[in-house]
Amino acid sequence: MNTKPWKHPLGQAAIVVVLAYLVFEWGIWLLPPLFGVASAPVPATVVLQYMGTVVVGVLIWVSDSEERWKQFKAPIHRVMVDPRQKVLRTALMVTIPLLVAFMTFDRVRPTVSAPAALRSVHPAPPGQIDFRGETMVLNGLENPLRHEGDFNEHYEEGKRVYVQNCMPCHGDALDGQGHFASAFNPAPLSFQDPGTIVQLTESFVFWRIAKGGPGLPREATPWDSAMPAWEDSLTAEEIWQVIIYLYEQTGWEPRTWEEEGAEGEEH
Amino acid sequence: MRARASSPRAAMIPGFVFAAAMACAGSAPLTAQEENALGRDVYDRWCASCHGYEGLGDGYAAEYMLPRPRDFTQALYQIRTTPSGQLPTDDDIMRVINEGMPGTTMPGWEEELSLEERLALVDYLKSLSRFFATGEAPEPMTFSSPTRATEEALADGREVYELIECNRCHGADGRGDGTSSPTLVDDTGMPIYSVDLTENWYFNGGGTVEDIYRRLRTGLDGTPMPSFTDLIDAGVITDEQLWNLSHYVRSFAPEDPPGITEVIRAGLVEDAPLPQGVDDPMWESAEAFYIPMGGQIIQSPRWFVPQVAGLWVRALHDGGELAVHVSWSDHSESPDTAWADFQARVLSAVGPDEGDMEPGPRPDGLYVQFPMEIPEGMDKPYFLLGDPLEPVYLWHWESTAGAAHEADARGLGTTAPQGDASQSLASEAAFSAGRWAVMFRRALETEDPGDLQFRVGEPVPVGFAAWDGDNGESGSRGSISSWHYIFLQEPTPATVVVAPLIATLLTAGLGVLLVARAQRRVREGAEGADEGNA
Repeated sequence: MNTKPWKHPLGQAAIVVVLAYLVFEWGIWLLPPLFGVASAPVPATVVLQYMGTVVVGVLIWVSDSEERWKQFKAPIHRVMVDPRQKVLRTALMVTIPLLVAFMTFDRVRPTVSAPAALRSVHPAPPGQIDFRGETMVLNGLENPLRHEGDFNEHYEEGKRVYVQNCMPCHGDALDGQGHFASAFNPAPLSFQDPGTIVQLTESFVFWRIAKGGPGLPREATPWDSAMPAWEDSLTAEEIWQVIIYLYEQTGWEPRTWEEEGAEGEEH
Repeated sequence: MRARASSPRAAMIPGFVFAAAMACAGSAPLTAQEENALGRDVYDRWCASCHGYEGLGDGYAAEYMLPRPRDFTQALYQIRTTPSGQLPTDDDIMRVINEGMPGTTMPGWEEELSLEERLALVDYLKSLSRFFATGEAPEPMTFSSPTRATEEALADGREVYELIECNRCHGADGRGDGTSSPTLVDDTGMPIYSVDLTENWYFNGGGTVEDIYRRLRTGLDGTPMPSFTDLIDAGVITDEQLWNLSHYVRSFAPEDPPGITEVIRAGLVEDAPLPQGVDDPMWESAEAFYIPMGGQIIQSPRWFVPQVAGLWVRALHDGGELAVHVSWSDHSESPDTAWADFQARVLSAVGPDEGDMEPGPRPDGLYVQFPMEIPEGMDKPYFLLGDPLEPVYLWHWESTAGAAHEADARGLGTTAPQGDASQSLASEAAFSAGRWAVMFRRALETEDPGDLQFRVGEPVPVGFAAWDGDNGESGSRGSISSWHYIFLQEPTPATVVVAPLIATLLTAGLGVLLVARAQRRVREGAEGADEGNA
């Protein structure tokens, strides 16, 4: 009768279900970042699906042996029939329907949200672009300034170009938190983020800077991007210099064409 | 993969130090600056682009911002815990490095730089000015504990606000529109705006009551904002009154800074007429949405120092008409001759010389931008006033033009008003105590094929642009927003009430059945047992 809750099948079942919920809802989202691994919240529908699986599993386990099944049912049965449990019984019979009512209301009440915009963040670059009337082949293109002129001068010039043009949106710390950033959606890219320039070749970055939002392919929603087409105001040299600054300042290495090629073969 | 390379300049330091040592024939000790190689590296790498390599506040980006970057050689620090006119403590400098200066272009660096780097940076910043050379540690002031924000405290704070003439710069309602406002310059002669007290998230030294109290005690050195400690010492006001004032100043701003909403909900008004004017009290109870704005720096002529930082938008409809109410803080009703000199100072302070930079009377303005029709898929016109292939439909208001009118545009600088016969927009605007409010009203559906036709229950893309004429803004030099949506609320469907009701009845019924059945079985079992016994 007075066994400890964690020794009773009903208590054990409840503990498993609650723990599973905590892991799905919060654990998967919040624990990996403690160890430096990126993570994201689990979508509600997936949590529901996982919980369904857990509940079925728990039910199979408790009904597996006749003895355990009886034990499992006993407290529930007691609440339903025992005259001494009348208060608890009444309370449950009121709160459970109310809870269901609230959950139903939450599902059917009209909510307002923006239409889901499916947007390609890293659209496929074209093989070549037209830059100020000259054809530029992007495939296999390296940053020419890495082997030309004085690297420190390129970095310094890139710094000037960056803070005079890019900083208001992309931020002093290149983290996408510039003082105008909150005005724009999609938000300006953080170059510190391991999902941005480190995944890209310098020629891709050149294409994005030169052609900006208006030069994006349709799947990347060019009408929303506030990124200017810098070919109108920066020279090719200035763009290559600012690219040097982006990588140098964040400490990232650009993706090389060898890596690009290797990945292409894998697929 | 992530090798943090030291900056090229840092790589040159050993050589520089070596050369300096050689030049002094090894006799002179290293200066504080040279000793602090880490501080110098961090400074050159992250700070010099705005503040300049020598700390003069003259970096590459200096002319692209207002207020300008701090000149560290002058050792004038705004945010301190020390009395006015004194040097900051190391903790004061560290605080600004950590948290940045809200309302300016200075970000916080706590995430980006390690504690060791930031400590070295504090030392390095001090080494840039001879004023720190004495090495004496400045004494922070002792501040009293906060008082409670009672009704009486706020009422007294309000009196102090007028007694010590806060309103002369900050205005009667705190929006920075006081009569002295257009005369303000900082210690370097740059134009400086008196802060809008309704936006405490932009206060340079933080927006809490404690922050406000400390700024009142220490003043903001280098700016026209004085310290009021001397008024306490002279017995004009008490310390408690300064706390009351702090509570009152804090009360201008909302409890929390506004969140950014993608969708503006236009509520359905069923049993009353739509608001008739811009000051209709109905607007006060309508849900307000904050739209942050950024400078138009996408196409030349660009504008890096916009004054309209955000708009508050409210919308209501009655199934036949849509009313939209847009309000924002503005220091003046442009063009205001009192601000002519200020405008000239702003225009000469801004570096990128793009467009018509001649000072002159310019109106305030507002665009509300829509696509020509509700898009079927994701496609929208280009957010910056469309392009030649996909034009946008505009509501255009200007402070000097009287009524707003409908227009369309095929890109920046191509705005053309619709013909007089096609105009179907009503509007009203009012400027009061540093705040513009503009109301637009239009039928959801019009006969004009050049107008957007609104439909209830469908999100409609909407964007904004705004100009502060007395800040030198006109044409492409203003502030803009991305696309947002406006959603005209539908009548509440019956399912919202019916579905939970049915669910409740079903659950309750099932529960009653289960319990009744279980109890009946127990009774029958007991009877059975009795019979058995018998």
